[in-house]
Amino acid sequence: MKDYFKYFDKFTFVLLLALVVIGIFLIFSAGHSTHETNYLKQTAWMLFSLLVFFAVFSLKIDFIFRKAFAAYLALLVILALQITVGGTISRTRSWFRLWGIGLQFSEFVKVPLALYLAKMLTEFETMGPRAFGKAIAIILVPVALIVLQPDMGVSFILCAFIPLVILMRKIKPAVLVVSVLMVALSGSIGWHMVLKPYQKDRIVSFLNPMKYKTSIGYHVIQSKIAIGSGGLAGKGYLKGSQSKYQFLPARHTDFIVSVIGEEFGFVFTSILFFIYFLVFYRQFRFNFRNDEEFYFVFLFNGIILFQFLINVFMAIGFFPVLGISLPFVSYGGSSLLSLFVGEAVIFRIKINNYLP
Amino acid sequence: MYLSKRKLSTEFVKRAAVVSTVFLVVIFTVILVAFWSIQIVHNEAYSRLAMRNITRVVELPAPRGLVVDRSGMVLAENKINFTLYLIRENVADLGKAIRLSSFFSGKSMADIRQIIEKFRKFAGFYRIPIKSNLPRSTVIFIQSRQDEFPEFEIGLEPSRTYPLGEHAAHVLGYISEISEAELNAGSPGVYNLGDYVGRSGIEKQYEAFLKGVKGSQTVIKNSIEKVQQVHAGISPEIGDTVVLSMDLQLQEFIEKLLAGENGAVGVLDLKSGGVLALVSRPSFDPEIFSREIGQVEWQAISNDPLNPLQDKFLQGLYSPGSVFKIVMALAGLQERLVTPATTTFCSGSQVFYDREFHCWNTGGHGAMNLFPALQNSCNIYFYNLGKRMDIDTIARYSRLLGLGGPSGIDLPNENTGLVPDSAWKMETSHQRWFPGETISVAIGHGSMNVTPVQMLRLISTVALRGRMPKLHLLQRIERRGQVVMESVPEFFRVPIDQENFELVIEGLYRVVNSGGTGWAAMVPGLDICGKTGTSQIIAKDNPRYNLLSKEKRFMPNSWFVSFAPRGNPRLAVVVMVENGGDAGAIAAPLAAQIYKKFFANERLF
Repeated sequence: MKDYFKYFDKFTFVLLLALVVIGIFLIFSAGHSTHETNYLKQTAWMLFSLLVFFAVFSLKIDFIFRKAFAAYLALLVILALQITVGGTISRTRSWFRLWGIGLQFSEFVKVPLALYLAKMLTEFETMGPRAFGKAIAIILVPVALIVLQPDMGVSFILCAFIPLVILMRKIKPAVLVVSVLMVALSGSIGWHMVLKPYQKDRIVSFLNPMKYKTSIGYHVIQSKIAIGSGGLAGKGYLKGSQSKYQFLPARHTDFIVSVIGEEFGFVFTSILFFIYFLVFYRQFRFNFRNDEEFYFVFLFNGIILFQFLINVFMAIGFFPVLGISLPFVSYGGSSLLSLFVGEAVIFRIKINNYLP
Repeated sequence: MYLSKRKLSTEFVKRAAVVSTVFLVVIFTVILVAFWSIQIVHNEAYSRLAMRNITRVVELPAPRGLVVDRSGMVLAENKINFTLYLIRENVADLGKAIRLSSFFSGKSMADIRQIIEKFRKFAGFYRIPIKSNLPRSTVIFIQSRQDEFPEFEIGLEPSRTYPLGEHAAHVLGYISEISEAELNAGSPGVYNLGDYVGRSGIEKQYEAFLKGVKGSQTVIKNSIEKVQQVHAGISPEIGDTVVLSMDLQLQEFIEKLLAGENGAVGVLDLKSGGVLALVSRPSFDPEIFSREIGQVEWQAISNDPLNPLQDKFLQGLYSPGSVFKIVMALAGLQERLVTPATTTFCSGSQVFYDREFHCWNTGGHGAMNLFPALQNSCNIYFYNLGKRMDIDTIARYSRLLGLGGPSGIDLPNENTGLVPDSAWKMETSHQRWFPGETISVAIGHGSMNVTPVQMLRLISTVALRGRMPKLHLLQRIERRGQVVMESVPEFFRVPIDQENFELVIEGLYRVVNSGGTGWAAMVPGLDICGKTGTSQIIAKDNPRYNLLSKEKRFMPNSWFVSFAPRGNPRLAVVVMVENGGDAGAIAAPLAAQIYKKFFANERLF
């Protein structure tokens, strides 16, 4: 037990907690003018997530990898059930109400999928067309189910596993060319058959926000105004007019970066980014006993980094608005829980090197 | 002591660590540079946009100034008016907003669409006025459900009201909404779409004084335009009070006298040049224009054959008829063509230039000089005078006495009338003037036409023996109790000898007091001098004259121009009754009643 405490990565853990606490303060500010109590819910979710974190942390790493496929399958079943009989929250079926608590199962797919992919990458000696095809299929089945819900944000994030897999393992060029063609094909099918008009609008408005200034480009412009008007030191906590007077859309979720940008300015926004940098830097540095551990850490960190980048780029108009939250900071219990489960696995892998 | 199952080469793991670190450094540098650019480099621009998001400068309309008569009776004032506004940027569903606008305002959806289209160039937060004078029940309905209708706003504004209704409507004029074209033509900043401006009468003439000074207020609004904070602003200033020389009591008395007739009456205070009454019939209710006139009402009023919107006193064009004999007499005397002793024999008709001309008295007046000629309005006397004068001389004296040009009264849209002369004939019909035409003009017929206000100025000039008054309706303009503008009596000398005026006045005195054509205007104890004029609508030699002249619309127009008292002239009255028939019987008695009313109440003036 003493060793557990000694070798536990306390610094990274404190950084993660700092992100969540900063998030709660920002969620409070975002909902202040409209008297929302999301910050309380997020605090409760944080406490629950920490409990789960330590529970997962205490498990044996082999056990975790063994159960990954079962968890993956179970989630696929739940997602499929949701599509057929699920409830409806804000025109998507991705939410599931359980004892009054909204659960977004699509968020939970990340960890089992990363674990199972890591196992697969370890099993296959070389990445031939068969192996690569299997990896793609494992990724695309949940992606397809989540697209149908529809939850574009999460499915987009999960798609990032594909380039990560390619980066992890050298793939034959011919296989890559074929897959790029398939992506292009599915992209055009997706555009014409899957994407809802409002989702297409978002992508179109990203390409030319000023043209859609008052309609669909509105979000990005208001977000940039919020961040830009924050200046060096910000307008002060609870004093951001863009946030307070509700010009910022989805302030507590997708555009929470704009809240900190407006109220705390460049200095504190940079500090927030620096915390992320330190977390990623530390979590990419570790020792491992089994290749699947290496693959998992890179896949899971890669996904979080990707989500972070897309969210920040979205807020400054570098990327279309897709409904992707800022990991650890944005409001959202399911996302927070999923992230802490994944982090628990990483913390476990890191500590294993020091334990007998 | 762990059991390693590692197969990945150390080299690969190291490279992964290096690549991930380099990637992190690069990507975080990109993010920091992007945020630096937005937050530091472009901070000012974005701060301005953030300010513009929440602050709105709201214009506060100014109440229009009051218009009062000489004794302070209110002729035009303001009342509270609820206006329904649509704010386009709060509209979620335009179709629904148009349906609701139509439901609240009672206007058709096409009309609503037209209104919105008119404001298309305006910012999304601009309040588009959908309907003014909203009923109170609608106001309460919308305000109690404001959360359901974020796109609507109820404005509380002053609106124009005329407590007297149709009385003095032509003097006051009316106001109506400014058009897009006028806004583009005018200097920016003064008016905005949705503002009302004076269109006629005093409302137009003194628009600059009446409109007041708009106020403004800065408010902080949230994204759905709900006001969060109101900053102190500039209060609007009410427009100036316009005090008219008009006497409401006399005005209303004359309007009642003229009931059922069409025509115009003007009464002038000869001491000041101030108009005491100015009546034009039929009249209209000027408030319908400030009430946002509907298509139906507009059609009705503008297609009315009696043209109630026209101020007949300033714009009605009529033959002067025998009233013109005053000008002829003055010209003849001044040109030394006649003296009071010059006599002409009237046998009822006479041939000039191979054409027979008639006197109205077919039996003839016998031999007569200037005085009985005026008294009996003998045509033959003035035909002969006309024959001895050329048309250009007649035209010159007409213009000297104010015909053929604007009277200069302080009301807009005055007609100038027409004084024909040889140059005019050449210009319009490329023909020289025929001496035969002069004969008709000599008794005020032919192509000559005049407005009643010109006649008022003419008779006033005669009354004042050649001192032509400047006519005005304005007495003074007051701003917060201080007089900022005041009319002073102004008179211009007409180059006609004073004794010639005295001679003509003797004739005009006889018209009323010695059994002349205007005998019906006689008021015992008051020396009224006047001249009748019965101007034919159809010529007597028209083959169907006897048939048509029975119809009201072909009956002659009746003039009576007059002043009193003779020695120390105080009042000038011009009466013009359209299709009134014989002037002596119709117009003259009306004038008598006006004099009686005025002098009975004279202590009031």
